[in-house]
Amino acid sequence: MTDTPLIQLVDVTKTYHLESGDFTALDHVSLDIMDNDFVAIMGPSGSGKSTMMNQLGILDVPTSGKLSISGKNVAEMSTLERTHMRRDTIGYIFQKFYLIPLLSAYENVEYPLILKYKKRDTTGRAHTLLEQVGIDKDMSAHRPTQLSGGQQQRVAIARALVNEPKILLCDEPTGNLDSKTGYQIMDILCGLHREGKTVILVTHDPKIAEYAHRTIRLVDGRIAES
Amino acid sequence: MIKGDIFFNLSVRSVRLNFLRSMLAAIGIVIGVVAIASMGMLGTNMQLEVKDQLSSSANTIVISSDSVRMGPPGFTPSSSTASGVTKTELTKITSVVGTNGTVIPVYSTNGEFTISSVAGRGSIYGLDPDDIAKFLTLNQSYGNGTTDLGLNEVLVGADIAENFNLKVGSRIKIGSFSSTSRPELRIAGVLKARGTVADGISTDNGVVVNSKWYTNQYGGENKFTQVNVIVKDVDNIDDIETALDTKLNTNAKVPSVRITDATSQLETETSTLSTVTTFIMAIGGISLLVAAVSIFNVMMMSVSERIQEIGILLSIGTEKGEVRRMFIYEAFILGLLGAGIGGISSVIIGYTVVDAMIGTTAYFFEPASILYVPAAMLIGVVVCVISGVYPAWRASNMDPIDALRSE
Repeated sequence: MTDTPLIQLVDVTKTYHLESGDFTALDHVSLDIMDNDFVAIMGPSGSGKSTMMNQLGILDVPTSGKLSISGKNVAEMSTLERTHMRRDTIGYIFQKFYLIPLLSAYENVEYPLILKYKKRDTTGRAHTLLEQVGIDKDMSAHRPTQLSGGQQQRVAIARALVNEPKILLCDEPTGNLDSKTGYQIMDILCGLHREGKTVILVTHDPKIAEYAHRTIRLVDGRIAES
Repeated sequence: MIKGDIFFNLSVRSVRLNFLRSMLAAIGIVIGVVAIASMGMLGTNMQLEVKDQLSSSANTIVISSDSVRMGPPGFTPSSSTASGVTKTELTKITSVVGTNGTVIPVYSTNGEFTISSVAGRGSIYGLDPDDIAKFLTLNQSYGNGTTDLGLNEVLVGADIAENFNLKVGSRIKIGSFSSTSRPELRIAGVLKARGTVADGISTDNGVVVNSKWYTNQYGGENKFTQVNVIVKDVDNIDDIETALDTKLNTNAKVPSVRITDATSQLETETSTLSTVTTFIMAIGGISLLVAAVSIFNVMMMSVSERIQEIGILLSIGTEKGEVRRMFIYEAFILGLLGAGIGGISSVIIGYTVVDAMIGTTAYFFEPASILYVPAAMLIGVVVCVISGVYPAWRASNMDPIDALRSE
């Protein structure tokens, strides 16, 4: 572990220009997330959790302030560089799984490898990861719609891991699952943290947040408790 | 390798998922490709046929009196009987041509005739019996005929013989229907079909009589309707024409004769045909334009139905260019489908149409004709890909957050 934060937010503000006027979703937020942190972000609806996730996932850029990931200022990166950082440095796990419906479970996991290496995977890495999250070869030939929610989320985790990202960004990963399956998914995430991943988790559920080593509470776009 | 490309696979699956919709859009391309290809082939086949027929008389120079002639070759307005190529001019022609060719003076008019009390109309050519065999051949399947025409004998063209079911030895009455004297002649032979020719002697729907009988019947002796010169070496044709022009048209302002050959007629005919072909193909092109609109529409539907999927692709690190490529592939597949079916259909439909309208498919597989199929297919695919450019651009420029949120 180094002393330089993996993710650093300095005075980050995000303002949306709506017809009803400007809306500040994040209000001068400063935050350091270190390598191999396990952070839970909590807060009521409209507190800015999603905006925070979009910033951390560099799907969006701050209106003002500075966001650095691995020491790089996101605002200074080109669109293509940001795309490549999303592909190589960050693994996304969504509440609604967001698997690609036209691809099989295996192809969904293989997809980020194809994006990175511009060719089909021959290393068998996608299969290995699917086995690790408990999806056998039979199941991996199925399309996402033929899988249960828990299975889909396992496939999504394998997809997030396939390019060996430093950061795992989980947006309500258990939100669409029953509690038993939810805990199984959380166990997988804890294991990944132990293996050295930096895990950032957005959740409503205090029990899920307990898995994290550090909890950040957002209220009205500001950090209320860290 | 396009087949291993995951974006190509995604596009194939998307087309398969919306198969009916995709096929309906592709039908537009099918129609466009068929329209362009079969019309192009029809026009080219017509041109090739005319060219072949005319080139069989490419070695013939036609010299006619320089009066305004209305109507097809062989048709002469009655008023022109006074003019025509004179005996003096014929002598000059013979001396210019010398041993380089054969000079054939021709009388011709348009007339009526009656065969077993059925009336017909056609060209009547008066020729010296010695000249007939020099450029006309007999079809002996109608009986053993001869070109050595007696005064009361006649040769009939292929169409007349077939239509009236004639044989050598049958009788034919020549002359205006209302006229009192309608001399009866014996058919001495049936001519082979000549088709479209450039030497002004279209015998298929005409008759050939002895020139002496002709001048007795119609007058105008030594005022030939035209004089044909069949040159020995076609490469000399321009030189002979120049020499004839110098000798005959002494007054450049008022030329006394007109000198033409197959080349000039070929140019006129093919340029007319190609104008018509281009026009019809342009109409076919309009159907491709309509097809482009429907492909555009289907592509826009595909984009808007897959907004969330596009959001997923973009958020997990797919480059804009890769998203664009996926949709361009989809348009390309629609184009390939349409062009493929269209290509096969145009060969079948084109073959049928050419056979029905021209009566021969001898030229159908000539490169100039069959190449319309791949050309039209290519146009179809290109039109599709162009129609997919804007939808693809729109998909790749979506905001991933908004796209993910859409249901």
